[in-house]
Amino acid sequence: MDFYFGLAQVIGVHTLLGLSAYCVLLTGQVSLAQAAFFAIGAYVAAILTVIFKWHLFAALGVSAVVSGLTACAVGFPALRVKGLMLVVATLAFGEAVRLFFFNFTYQIQAGELKIGPHGAEGFRQIRYFPEHGWSTFDVLVFIWLMVAIVMACLWWLDRSRAGAVMRAVGEDEVAAHSSGINVTAVKVSAMTIGGVIAGIGGGIFAHYTTHIEHVQFGVILATFAIAYPILGGLSNVFGTLLAVIFIQGFLIEGLRFLGDWRNLLFGALIVLAMNLRPRGFLDAGGVASLKRMLFAGKESSGA
Amino acid sequence: MRIVSIAAAALLAGMTTSLSGGALAQERTVKITGFGAKSGVVRVFGVNSEAAMKAAAEQINKAGGVTLGDGAKAKLSVEFLDDRCNAEEGISVIRRIASTDAFVAIGPTCSNVAESLFGILQKKVGDASDSGLQFPVFADVAAKGGLAAISEWAFRNVPSELEMYKSLFAWLKREHPNLKTIYGGVEKDFAHSNATYGVMKKQAEENGFQVLGTGEWLLNDTTFSTQVREMRRANPEIVAISAHPFTTCGVLREMDRQGVKPKLLIGLTSSSSIETLQGCAKQAEGIIIPTSFAPVTPEAKAAADNVSKQGGSMDLHSAAAYEIMFILKDVIESQKIMAKPDTVQADRNKMRQGLAALKETKGLLGTVGRTNDREAIKPYLYVHAKDGSWQVLHKPSS
Repeated sequence: MDFYFGLAQVIGVHTLLGLSAYCVLLTGQVSLAQAAFFAIGAYVAAILTVIFKWHLFAALGVSAVVSGLTACAVGFPALRVKGLMLVVATLAFGEAVRLFFFNFTYQIQAGELKIGPHGAEGFRQIRYFPEHGWSTFDVLVFIWLMVAIVMACLWWLDRSRAGAVMRAVGEDEVAAHSSGINVTAVKVSAMTIGGVIAGIGGGIFAHYTTHIEHVQFGVILATFAIAYPILGGLSNVFGTLLAVIFIQGFLIEGLRFLGDWRNLLFGALIVLAMNLRPRGFLDAGGVASLKRMLFAGKESSGA
Repeated sequence: MRIVSIAAAALLAGMTTSLSGGALAQERTVKITGFGAKSGVVRVFGVNSEAAMKAAAEQINKAGGVTLGDGAKAKLSVEFLDDRCNAEEGISVIRRIASTDAFVAIGPTCSNVAESLFGILQKKVGDASDSGLQFPVFADVAAKGGLAAISEWAFRNVPSELEMYKSLFAWLKREHPNLKTIYGGVEKDFAHSNATYGVMKKQAEENGFQVLGTGEWLLNDTTFSTQVREMRRANPEIVAISAHPFTTCGVLREMDRQGVKPKLLIGLTSSSSIETLQGCAKQAEGIIIPTSFAPVTPEAKAAADNVSKQGGSMDLHSAAAYEIMFILKDVIESQKIMAKPDTVQADRNKMRQGLAALKETKGLLGTVGRTNDREAIKPYLYVHAKDGSWQVLHKPSS
């Protein structure tokens, strides 16, 4: 079972990463900076638990705040540009953050060892979970509790006026602006929320992988972050979850037995999925069908 | 008639028993799972490790297989899983292997994967407060220094690069007293290359060489003109490149194009492989590399041939995988490992104890020492690229 618990942990953390991009995509912006916020969360949380011996919950709180503030700061200048220019701007920011951690060394002496981030060699021994007796199942429950809270908040946000405003900006920025919506504020808010979620995800990531280094937070992770909500569909938060299960659970882990063929199939199956479900796994039509099915089920059981 | 029936029934029962017993004996197989990179630019290491493990298993099976704790003979089979040199996938792979009846795993290829997955193992054996995975892992390729110290369940059969480069630079100082300046090149984003460059630079300085500068590039880089231009400007007598075959060849070709001709070239251990010769034999001519494998003994030559038949090539990394299979055979037999579904955790503990107790093992180049922190002290030699092949340049007395 440990293997499946571990896999569910990976799916949970990547869901958080995908949801951080989901917020930004709702406002019609494509951000490749989510991996950078994820990295900031990972390093901040790990430094706090390993060097300053903080409790994990407090460390995750701080990592969420730091990532959120960074996202907010990046949001103001970056969101002045649109479309492909924004993609390039956020990609550049992501690379800048990665290169910062590539050169970042902050170590202290702990007995015979030095602990802390060590530039290109990374940051090892982030062993909060095993050292505090957390079993794989405990970690799994904790991660999914965080995922559930984030999903519930986003679900509520989506159904609130704020969510409607975000979608309005995403659908037609000019029309939204004409209606009196402060477009910049909405976009920066979405970026900040995305940063907070990525910070939490990154903090957990650092602790279940026990070692982090700059290469883990590069363009590939940034691409995965936006691929999850795009592949899953933006109609609601569950689309992102479905896409993460499809990629991490099926394409990466489920097809491992195929050996070398797995990588070939990986791209082909994503292209196929995008062709079969161009608006995502869980688009508005799919959600409506699901609702009809559920509603019909209730009617028949009620009868 | 009754006696005949009873006799026939007894005979039938006996035949059935012996047949099923024979079938069971034939079916007894112990699966050894390896894992590492079989994708991306370092996939060749995974391919070679798998071939080496299969070649070793074939040799062991030809010699009768392994004797298990209950006296039964078993054949070894090999399965190899791809972790794509990705830490998250490495953790998933080791959890997957640990969820089977496996009592040990061989891998991984990449040091960054080893860092993560050794981190999820229990740090100290018997520490009830540590909920880390209790599963022995024996690394064949991941070469960054000191990794086995992360967990008492982690073991390595990789050479000590510190010792190798310490010896090499001392030898260079003795053999080439006229050479004074050195320029470094490093594949900065690859943990092994980066860590080893630190070793090279320190040893060069300690032996009185003047380090004129360092060119840095990334594992996936394909152009090196800027780095080589700076190298040319520094005009060093020695160039030391800490990079894997792919970028080593890229840099060497660029040096050739720009006319940079140092008096001596030094390379990373991992580049003493067939890939370097296939990629840039002409430009690599003369490069000196310390390595823990070369086909210089009858055993090593035979092993290299066996690995070649399995579709891989033997280098210091795959040689480690080959040796590990024989080490595991010895530990299975000495620790009386049962390899049964109901003895899995006991077998893992026995395997860990057996590996930890080893003081020396048999290697392809001679006896391999084992340290208290579960690392290997491997014999090594210096090879240089000459006429399109690796030839032994010097055998240190160690």
